[in-house]
Amino acid sequence: MAYDILVVDDEPGLREMVQDILAGAGYTVRLAGTCVQALQQSRAKLPDGVLLDVMLPDGDGFALLGQLRDLADLPVLFLSARDEDADRLRGLGLGADDYITKPFLAQELLLRLGAVLRRVYRQPAPPEADRLGETELCWGAGVLRRAGREIPLTAKEFTLLKTLWANRGNIVTIDALCAALWTGPLVGYENTLMVHIRRLREKLEADPSHPKYLKTVRGLGYRLVREERP
Amino acid sequence: MRTPWKLQNLGRWAGLLALSVGVTVLVFLGGIVLLAWQTGEGQASSLGALRDVSQALTQEADGSYTLQNFDLPQDAAAWMLLLDADGNVVWQWNKPDELPTHYTLGQVASFSRWYLMDYPVQSLARGDGLLLAGQEKGSLWKYSVEFSQRFMAWLPGWLMGMFFLALFCVLALAGLLLRRQFRREQRGRDEARSNWISGVSHDIRTPLSMVMGYAGQLEENPALPEQARKQAAIIRRQSQTIRDLVNDLNLTMRLDCEMQALRKAPLELAPFLRQTAADFLNSGLEHEVDLDLRLPKAPLPRIEADAFLLRRALNNLLLNAARHAPPGSVICLGVTNSVGAADPCGPPSPTCVLWVENQTGQAQAQPSDQDGGAPHGTGRKLVSQIAQAHGGRAVFSDGTRFRGEIWLPVGDKKQALRDGRA
Repeated sequence: MAYDILVVDDEPGLREMVQDILAGAGYTVRLAGTCVQALQQSRAKLPDGVLLDVMLPDGDGFALLGQLRDLADLPVLFLSARDEDADRLRGLGLGADDYITKPFLAQELLLRLGAVLRRVYRQPAPPEADRLGETELCWGAGVLRRAGREIPLTAKEFTLLKTLWANRGNIVTIDALCAALWTGPLVGYENTLMVHIRRLREKLEADPSHPKYLKTVRGLGYRLVREERP
Repeated sequence: MRTPWKLQNLGRWAGLLALSVGVTVLVFLGGIVLLAWQTGEGQASSLGALRDVSQALTQEADGSYTLQNFDLPQDAAAWMLLLDADGNVVWQWNKPDELPTHYTLGQVASFSRWYLMDYPVQSLARGDGLLLAGQEKGSLWKYSVEFSQRFMAWLPGWLMGMFFLALFCVLALAGLLLRRQFRREQRGRDEARSNWISGVSHDIRTPLSMVMGYAGQLEENPALPEQARKQAAIIRRQSQTIRDLVNDLNLTMRLDCEMQALRKAPLELAPFLRQTAADFLNSGLEHEVDLDLRLPKAPLPRIEADAFLLRRALNNLLLNAARHAPPGSVICLGVTNSVGAADPCGPPSPTCVLWVENQTGQAQAQPSDQDGGAPHGTGRKLVSQIAQAHGGRAVFSDGTRFRGEIWLPVGDKKQALRDGRA
C-alpha cells in the first residue's frame, strides 16, 4: 500500500525535493505551500501522514497541527529549520510524532517517516519469524528452528535476542541489554549477561566459539550482524 | 559563562548593603551638619540680640535703666531681666509674674546655662550685673555636652573615617550601577549577535537540506557513472560538515551568551561512555578507524552533568581524532578517575578526566580532507565551553598524536581541599 503524504512547506524547491525522495520510496505525495492549502487538501482527502514546516506564510505549523488533528488523528512530523530545544519540545509537546530538523539526509527522512507510519498503522504486520543465516527465529513461539530441529529459548534469551534483532547491525551496549533484561540498579549484572549471551550463542551459532552472527564488541557490548540481502 | 545564581544573589545583597550603609552614613553626616548649623545659628542670633540689648541698656542718673533708641527684634527674647551683683532684679522687660525679683547665687548658677522655672534662658555678664534673656516655655531645647579630651583628639580621625566610609559606599554603589548598566548593554549586544547567528543558520538550513537531499539521491542513483556518484558523496559529506559547523556555531554562541540552559543530572560515567562510543561507531562512520574504550577497573564516581552537552563535546573530540587519523587507526576513549592527580591549574580536588586520543598518530596526508575538510576551531571552542559550563576545563595536545581531555570536578570541592591539606 502506497501511503499518501502531504508535504507542507513554503519553499517550493524543498517541497519538490521531498516529493522526489518520497516518490522514489513509493509514497504518493501531495504538496501545500500555506496553512490554507494544507487544510483544503486535507479536507478534500485525508492524507496518511503530514510533513509540516513550522514557519509558513499565513501561520505557523504548531497552530496548523491542532487544526489538522481536529480533522483526524493523523501522524504529523515536523520538518523545520528551527532547531532550538524550545521549538522541538513545543512541537513534540503538542503531539507531533517526530521533529526533524533541517538539513536532513534523505535516508534519515525516509527511516523516520517509515517508523512513524509503521507505529501508527502497524503495517506491515511484524513477521512471525525472521531468518538469521540457517536459523529461523520464531517470535510467536519463542523458539529457534535449525535443520528441522526446534531449540527453545528462555525468557531472558528471548528478550536478549529480540533487543539485539531490533538493533541489528548496531552495537547494543552492556547497559542497554541489562536494562532490557532486569529492572532496578544494574550494577553487577555484567557477568550474568555474559552467561546468557554464551547460552544464546550455543543455540544460535553453528560454532559458538567463533560466532558468526552474535559478535562481541570488546568493552562496549554486542552486535547482531545484519545480513546483506542477495 | 553563566554566573551561578548564588553569586548573583550575593552581588545583589552586597549592593543592597552598600546602598543602605551609604545612605545611612550620608543621612547621619547630614544630620550632624544640620544640627551643628542649627545650634550655631540659634546661639549666634540669641547672643547677638543679647549683646545689642546690653549696649542699648544704660543706667540713668537716678539708678534706673532704660533702653536707648532700640527696638527689640521679635523672637529675640520673650522677656528680659537685669540682675545686680546681689541678685536683685534692677530692670525687666515683659517679666512673667511667676518669676521672683531676687535670686540667690545657687539659682543664678543653675539657670545661667539651663532653665529658669522651665523658661530657657541665656545670660550675658556685664559690668553692673547679669543680663538674662528668656524664651517661652517649651520653645528651646538645651543640653550641655561634655567630651573627654581623649575623645576630642580622636574626633577628626573618626570623622575622616566616616567620610571615607561614606565615600566608599557611594563609590561601590556607583560601581554597582555602572556594572549593571554595562551588563545590560552587553546582554543586549549578545542577544543581537546570537539572534543574528540563529537567523543566518536558520536561513542556511533550508538550502543545505536541498543540497544534501539531492546529493544523497545522486549518490544512490545507479544510472550515474561511479565517478559522478563519488562526487555526489563528497557534496553530501561536506554539506553534513557545514551542518555540523552551523550547529556548533549556534551552540557555542548560546553558551557564550548564557542562553543555553544547563540540564545537570547525576550521570554514571561507565554506561554513559559505553553509549557514547556505541553511538559513534553506529553512526555509520566514514573514517576507517577503530575505537577502544578504556575504563578503569576501580568504580567510577557519579558526576553531575548535562549528558547531552557532554556527549556533544566527546563526539566533537572523537570526530576530530577520526578526521585526522589515517585509515586503520585506533582511537581511544577513556576516563581517568584522578583523585589527587596533579592539576597544574588548580588546587587538589577530585577530578575525572574524560579523554580521547589518537593512538596511531596523525596522518600526513588526510584522505578524508581531500575534498576540503573542516576547520576544528569552533569544535574545540565548543568542547572548552562545555567543560567550563561544568566547572571544568579542556586541554588539547597536538603532537604526533592528537589528545583532547575534559577535566570535570567530582563531588564536594571543600571536602577535597580539606583532604588535600590533611
